[in-house]
Amino acid sequence: MTSRMPVNPEEIGEALQKVRDPELGMSVADLGLIYGVRIEGGRVRIAMTLTTRGCPLHDAMTEWVRRAVGGVPGVEDVEVDLTFDPPWTPDRIAPRARR
Amino acid sequence: MIGRPDRSGPSPMLPLAYLACATVAFLAAAIGTAWLAPELAGHYYHPRVLALTHTVTLGWITLSIMGASYQLIPVVLGRSIWSERLAWWELGVWVAGVTGMVAHFSLGSWGGLGAAAAMVAVGVAMHLVNVGLSLRGFTEWTFTARLMMLAHAGLCLTALLGVALAANHLWPVLPGAFLDRLHAHVQLALLGWIAPMILAVAARVYPMFLLAPPPLPWTCLVQLWGIGVGVPAVVAGLLGPRGLLPLGAFAVAAAAGSHAWSVLEMARARKRPSLDWGLRFSLTATAFILPACVLGLGLAAGRLSGSRAALGYAVSVLGGWISLTIAGMMLKIVPFLVWYRAYGSRAGRERVPMVGDLSAPRLEGLAHGLLAGGMSLLTVATLAGDAAWIRASGAILTLGALAFAAAIARALGHLSPRGRTQAAPLGRAAGEPAR
Repeated sequence: MTSRMPVNPEEIGEALQKVRDPELGMSVADLGLIYGVRIEGGRVRIAMTLTTRGCPLHDAMTEWVRRAVGGVPGVEDVEVDLTFDPPWTPDRIAPRARR
Repeated sequence: MIGRPDRSGPSPMLPLAYLACATVAFLAAAIGTAWLAPELAGHYYHPRVLALTHTVTLGWITLSIMGASYQLIPVVLGRSIWSERLAWWELGVWVAGVTGMVAHFSLGSWGGLGAAAAMVAVGVAMHLVNVGLSLRGFTEWTFTARLMMLAHAGLCLTALLGVALAANHLWPVLPGAFLDRLHAHVQLALLGWIAPMILAVAARVYPMFLLAPPPLPWTCLVQLWGIGVGVPAVVAGLLGPRGLLPLGAFAVAAAAGSHAWSVLEMARARKRPSLDWGLRFSLTATAFILPACVLGLGLAAGRLSGSRAALGYAVSVLGGWISLTIAGMMLKIVPFLVWYRAYGSRAGRERVPMVGDLSAPRLEGLAHGLLAGGMSLLTVATLAGDAAWIRASGAILTLGALAFAAAIARALGHLSPRGRTQAAPLGRAAGEPAR
């Protein structure tokens, strides 16, 4: 029987820092697009939003997040739930990204 | 991130084609300003001045707005475009019609002008049908949606009055003074079509671009009522009871002032760390609202009169406020659409440039300085009626338009395989996690 490597939440956060919005140049984490991360064994569930409805990067952005988090050691499956409730506001941008 | 057609929206090539044609018209208008300096120092009702005016209003501004609409309606109103094919046909009809109008104005040929104006009217009808059918069953009547609907009603009325004016040269039937009808046509285009589209789109996209809160509800109400009540009053005042003219002008000025205040508020409260040239263009454009309102109110109240004041007003509105706003928005929209077309499918799988890497900051900065300076100088020069200074302004504007067109062309260059190859080593990887 092989033991599964536990998923490190910090590594999930680091992976999300590396997924950038191509226009704004900020990471999805700094933009405040990530509403929540739930780790259940090797399965990671991410709730996220976009800055606006109808965004063309609707599919692309979620795929980038899935790909980035899927590369974290121990992650076997990634599920990305896109929601607009509550809608994103600029207040969600991390202070360090505003500088 | 910038909004762009959703999955049911048109190909990015459709708005890009409109915006590329509009850029050519902008360059032509800048050259025409230098060339027609003696005419611009005289009375505005001159065939070649009318040719220049329609190059600006139809070739540059309306074409830009129509193209941007096909990108923004899916994003802003959440509706897919009814027919992309109709939009392509519309572009062809529009370019042919406007080219014909400008040529026949230049030649002073009223017969050919009527035919070309009819073609432009067909283009307007195609646009209205496409937008109207795209919005079938639409129920979310936000501020932006309401103003866009008002604007399209203004476009329809502007086209009808324009065709009637052209036909009246051949078969005089319209009652009243000719210049009053001409002024009504101009104000319908300026305040009834172009201005509400700018206000509508700005309220939605400036917060996205600036990462700022949306405009406060009371500023939206002032803009909506100012346009909704003011424009009919201005037009009615020009065609009938004069007392309505200053009242209408005051309402429109309140709308424009409220828009300017909300833009400044958004700029102040923005969370975007630095402003790119596209946003600087748009903010600079807002400064032209003040002289435009002063001149417009002065003309409406009878404190100012004559061709010089009218031309100065037109330059500050069309050249300063509207043109700089559109130039700024194009510097945002074009690189994004090109990026989406050229790199969107590859992003996240391989290293591709960021959207900003498609921009040309030096060219954009140069264009900003030359166009803002040129428009300021042109406003003053037309007010003074000085041909030499108008020519100097036209030369500055031509250089600015060339820099602007070069920046747009640089972004469009990424659509070609060669342009993409050269850009490959650029920038960070959009969406791609670091290895």
